[in-house]
Amino acid sequence: MRDRQRIGTVIQGSLLEGLTAKLEPSASVESMRVGNFVVIEGQKKQFFSLITDVALGATNEQVLLDPPAGADDFANAVLAGTSTFGTVKIAPMLMLDAEPSLEDQGLRPVKTVPSHFSPVYEADEDDFLRVFQEDTVSGVERVGKKKFFEIGKPLNMEVPVCMDLERFVERSNGIFGKSGTGKSFLARLMLSGIIKSRAAVNLVFDMHSEYGWETQSEETGHFVKGLRQLFGPQVLSYTLDPESARNRNVQPDGVVVIGLNQIQVEDVALLQEELNLTSTAVESSYLLVDRYRDRWLQQLLNMDAETLRDFARESGAHPEAMAALKRKLDMIGRLGFVKEHVDDSVIDEIVRSIESGRHVILEFGQYNNPREYILVANIITRRIHDLYRQKTERYQQTKKPEDRPRQLMITIEEAHKFLNPVAARQTIFGTIAREMRKYFVTLLVIDQRPSGIDTEVLSQIGTKITALLNDEKDIEAVFTGVGGGGRLKALLAALDPRQQALVLGYAVPMPVEVRTRTYDEAFYRAMGHRERDEQRREAEKARTELFGE
Amino acid sequence: MTHDLSPLGRVLRSSTTEFVVGCQDLARVPTFGSFVKVQAHDGVWVYGAAYNVLIDDDPFVRQIIGNPHIPREVALDQKENRQTPIEVEVLVLGYARDGLVHQYLPPQPPATLSDVYPCTASEVTAFTGQLSYLRTILFTPQIPADELLAANVREAYLRRGGDREFLVEAGREAARLLKDEYDRLKAILSRIRPSLFRSSTPEPARRRGVT
Repeated sequence: MRDRQRIGTVIQGSLLEGLTAKLEPSASVESMRVGNFVVIEGQKKQFFSLITDVALGATNEQVLLDPPAGADDFANAVLAGTSTFGTVKIAPMLMLDAEPSLEDQGLRPVKTVPSHFSPVYEADEDDFLRVFQEDTVSGVERVGKKKFFEIGKPLNMEVPVCMDLERFVERSNGIFGKSGTGKSFLARLMLSGIIKSRAAVNLVFDMHSEYGWETQSEETGHFVKGLRQLFGPQVLSYTLDPESARNRNVQPDGVVVIGLNQIQVEDVALLQEELNLTSTAVESSYLLVDRYRDRWLQQLLNMDAETLRDFARESGAHPEAMAALKRKLDMIGRLGFVKEHVDDSVIDEIVRSIESGRHVILEFGQYNNPREYILVANIITRRIHDLYRQKTERYQQTKKPEDRPRQLMITIEEAHKFLNPVAARQTIFGTIAREMRKYFVTLLVIDQRPSGIDTEVLSQIGTKITALLNDEKDIEAVFTGVGGGGRLKALLAALDPRQQALVLGYAVPMPVEVRTRTYDEAFYRAMGHRERDEQRREAEKARTELFGE
Repeated sequence: MTHDLSPLGRVLRSSTTEFVVGCQDLARVPTFGSFVKVQAHDGVWVYGAAYNVLIDDDPFVRQIIGNPHIPREVALDQKENRQTPIEVEVLVLGYARDGLVHQYLPPQPPATLSDVYPCTASEVTAFTGQLSYLRTILFTPQIPADELLAANVREAYLRRGGDREFLVEAGREAARLLKDEYDRLKAILSRIRPSLFRSSTPEPARRRGVT
């Protein structure tokens, strides 16, 4: 028998409501923490579970009405565990047959509860390794080498908590947390893992120019390396704003320019809220498209008052609506990265890079407000969407492994702007979140306001990595589509604001709280990064090994 | 089991649940709550706790009680060499057979005139290794149960060498038994709390130099 610390005994509960365990007198209620990982040894099965609530109980009302005098340690020690006791609520997550048998199915989601008075133990390192590294969940068989990535460590132990990256990229994922809780660090961590393991190709719409190159950590004030620096030419960095890149002394791999001819009504419709457009105005733009095709926006912006009136009269559009549309879209024409006419060369280049398995980070520089971000992200993603649809159809036709499109993950920030209930029905991102899994494209949405995201999209999100959230609605939103999620709510609100996250969903066997991995020198090294002089030393060493001194 | 102390007295009357010891010498009467043992039949040692001491009069005491000047020898005689025995009532708590302690009633009561011995420290430690006997004390009617329990626990604590953990465990056992009677529990706890032993007043057991 292993010397795990016994903390309590199951006294009641149900599969739906969770279990209640009475704490041992020796187990201090103060060391029980919501989110702790515990193991219940049932008669035939082990249950891997989470503590979801901690409570105080008393056998007798009178004890509570007449508590022992303040300094009476003895009375407190006697009463603890007898007349007064602690209880914990436990949510069982996974179960495992205690006796390995022929029809052993490994770890499975719970379908029953342990019997009365089953002992509850604090999980030890072996339990963590068993759950977070073994690939036996729900009997899914997978071929090939599994790609596990350490995302952090449990709160009270020094063992890695690993995530299955191949499962991770198979579905859309979310990184949530209120501002200042380290969302972009989490994102950088996950992106690094995916790049390193080659689980998928990444396209990152980097609103605040923080993923490609060095940025200052909000927490320590130190500068941390960007992905372009860590992974070298595997990662390409594009920018919309070459001036900002110059000012930060970074050398982008390309500059993205958008032509008015590349902007479609759909892109404008997406900006409806940002630009305060009426739906009539959006509908009128289709009249322009009917006449001018892809030059509709260019034509509109060039119209003077008179031509506009003429057009309205001829096409039957509402003149005031047309005028308003022009007024509001003038802003697009003034953007630094927008030209009258651009053939698709840069966007093509990006698409080709992605096809060849290189990761692309698009920095927005000064254009870091939602309007420009949404516009550009949508235009580029639409192209990729079309490409992947074709590629997938070809693959379905030929069924050749070499035709299988590379898994692609698109990272978007401020996701509620793209995926709010209105936009999610219109934008390409809504489509991707809902159905593009089948076409090998998934999203990594980073947001501080998950409640702003359409519930249909939320329920499709596979893995959620959530830092602290306080707002009741946001917490509710995170647990959309998670069975028994209500019980885990307390966990989320109890996270520390720094370096702690709750990971739940498709890529982990059960929800777990982690101290996230630090993004530091050790991490850079683990990702294979070497400083230049170190590279030289290693090369030197290799040379002497080969050729002698 | 060995008994390295001489007998305190002999069994005067006995039943399954209690027995009465007749003692001659007041100085050797077991203190309230202390452990005594007596052999019942082959290999069975019955354990009990003294809960009442009865010093009966005899016709001679009746005659001289009114005398204003009782000679010192006569008074001393009443203490050390009595005509009628001092009766010590003992509650049976359990028994030991072949070194195994059982905290429930023995199969047979001790016979009259069996020698009754005080328990040694190691016997007390062995017997109090379990605490289910506290239930017998608490739920026996018509004895000062709470006081007896407290005195017995204090005695065991001292003879176990001042083991605080023992006090806590005994308190817990009492708390489990008295879960509906918090007031009784509180009174018992106040009679066995460790701070009582820190005072300079020596306990009877300590005076006897027993650890």
